[in-house]
Amino acid sequence: MAVVELEHITKTYPGMQTPAVDDVMLTIDHGEFMVLLGPSGCGKTTTLRMIAGLESISSGTLRIDGEVMNRVPAKDRDIAMVFQSYALYPHMTVGKNLAFGLRRRRTPAPEIKRRVEATAEMLGLSDLLDRKPFALSGGQRQRVALGRAIVRDPKVFLFDEPLSNLDATLRVYTRNELIKQYRRLGTTMIYVTHDQVEAMTMGTQVCVMNQGRVVQAGKPLEVYRDPADTFVASFIGNPPTNLIEAEVVAGEGGVEARLGATRIPIPGYTESDLAQLPGRQVIFGIRPEDMYLARPASEVNSRYGALPMEVISVEPLGAETLLVLGAPGIGKDVIARLGRETAARVGETLEVYLDLQALHLFDPKTTRKLPRSGVSARRDTVAGARRSERPDVRTEGT
Amino acid sequence: MRRVIVQSALLSALAAYTAFAAGPFLWIAIMSFRTTSEISADPYALPDTFHWWKYPEAWFNSNYETYFWNSTQVMVVSVVLLSILGAMAAHCLARYKFPGNRLVFFLIFSAIILPPQITIIGVFQLLVEYGLYNSLVGLTLVYISMQLPLTVYILEGFFARLPQDLFDAARLDGYSDFEIFWRITLPIGLPAIATTVILNMIYIWNEFLFAVVLLSDDSKRTLPLGIQRFLGDHLEDTGMLATGLMIAVIPIIVIYVFFSEKMIQGMTAGAVK
Repeated sequence: MAVVELEHITKTYPGMQTPAVDDVMLTIDHGEFMVLLGPSGCGKTTTLRMIAGLESISSGTLRIDGEVMNRVPAKDRDIAMVFQSYALYPHMTVGKNLAFGLRRRRTPAPEIKRRVEATAEMLGLSDLLDRKPFALSGGQRQRVALGRAIVRDPKVFLFDEPLSNLDATLRVYTRNELIKQYRRLGTTMIYVTHDQVEAMTMGTQVCVMNQGRVVQAGKPLEVYRDPADTFVASFIGNPPTNLIEAEVVAGEGGVEARLGATRIPIPGYTESDLAQLPGRQVIFGIRPEDMYLARPASEVNSRYGALPMEVISVEPLGAETLLVLGAPGIGKDVIARLGRETAARVGETLEVYLDLQALHLFDPKTTRKLPRSGVSARRDTVAGARRSERPDVRTEGT
Repeated sequence: MRRVIVQSALLSALAAYTAFAAGPFLWIAIMSFRTTSEISADPYALPDTFHWWKYPEAWFNSNYETYFWNSTQVMVVSVVLLSILGAMAAHCLARYKFPGNRLVFFLIFSAIILPPQITIIGVFQLLVEYGLYNSLVGLTLVYISMQLPLTVYILEGFFARLPQDLFDAARLDGYSDFEIFWRITLPIGLPAIATTVILNMIYIWNEFLFAVVLLSDDSKRTLPLGIQRFLGDHLEDTGMLATGLMIAVIPIIVIYVFFSEKMIQGMTAGAVK
């Protein structure tokens, strides 16, 4: 296990004006499973390769267990990596692939044999040791790639999108296997992916990157529930957060947001929070699962804001139903995630209830989330307790 | 019906081309068992008697043994050095980004387009100046320099297609640059290397122009020059000429039969992802 610290890490390729990785500050604690999440080209793989020593660091300091690693060769960092393409040596058997790294370190032959056999046993590869990679399935190759890293017993594991070449079923299975191995080994792991499901289910910490910069880092549910900007809000979550341009206006009970022709109160925000917004414009963010077709009777009215919207399309997915909604003055379609028994017709106008304690406001210029200075949301406890009631269920005739 | 017609036409074309390509070879093989007088009487007839004695006659009495071993020495040393040097150069050009990488590759590649006739005089002068004229060492060096561009070109194309992840994984495992070349690039690149080995073997074994210009002693002649001995000013010993050609061709056929599969792998590697 090790602590990995990235201090102002920057990578600029020769001839390029824009850095590929720009001033990344990140600490991965002992035994942490850190997921670097972001779209293609955001710099997450470059960051991983700099930690591995496969790319040079243009500026900044990389430390592993307090020791500066900038000039330390990759082979001396005690790091093992699982590549997207598995990187299995095609001319060697599975057994030789597993042993390859140990041979170079002059590990005694009996020790190599013991570790290879133990790792093969752990990953279900014992019967495949004499096969070559071309005779293995995708899942088997993935396990060999993982085994080659495990057998080295490194301080840090690095994963570069290891599941992206697998089909959906195998991906779910292998993801669970990786989680199992993480729990068994407890080693510090850094995992790169563009798949938010992997990030949410595997990581103890998630670091969202965009255009070479760290946008937000934290526990997966924290990042999900409290996105730092519109990018995180729209990147994490499927369907993504609805981001609606709105105008801030003064209301009877406080500040309100005008969405089309309707005014919605925004609890937790005061005039002073929003006074600096140019033209009083704001981006109103609400997740699809925080929208309902009926307000729970036990909840206070002030918890929910009502918005009349027209149904544009209905997408029954089996386990849930997605409604695509629109309203005059709201420039884009909004998606609501409702229960599987939801019945709605295209063209119908519905009263949609928004959980105001789950809404986010973003500055349209900086895209950053506007902090609340008013009453705290306390939505995690309340929303979590109420989630099972499914207030959005509306059957035919209701 | 249409399928039958198309297949018949294809088969006919294949048969015609086979006859066109293999016919002369078969004719020479037949002539190698006939005497010159028999050939003069009827060039295309089958042998009445198989004159097997012509082969040991050529080998022992016409100095073919010496020519054969000269050719073998030059070919083996040239091909071994070409494979090692070519593979190393190709690996560096394919794997390392350094200033001038593409310029170096272009300069090497552009040498392929130069026909040997352009360079022969300069090469002759160089060898004379360095005391390598009329020596197998000099001829070997010339063959290596002539074939290195093509070798590097073929191998660089193959090595460049190898995934970078393999080399990154080897670096993380602790292997040095040379060890990565020796343990990863060479074993995986065997099909391409086999291709260059065959191509170089065939070229060097059959090469005549540089050999005839750069060698003068009979004891240093290679096989193509030895065959030429049967072409006199006034007389052409067609029978022995055919026998000599067969002795020269048989090793190449044997090598090709054993290595052709690897050659096809090397030429088509990377064609399909």
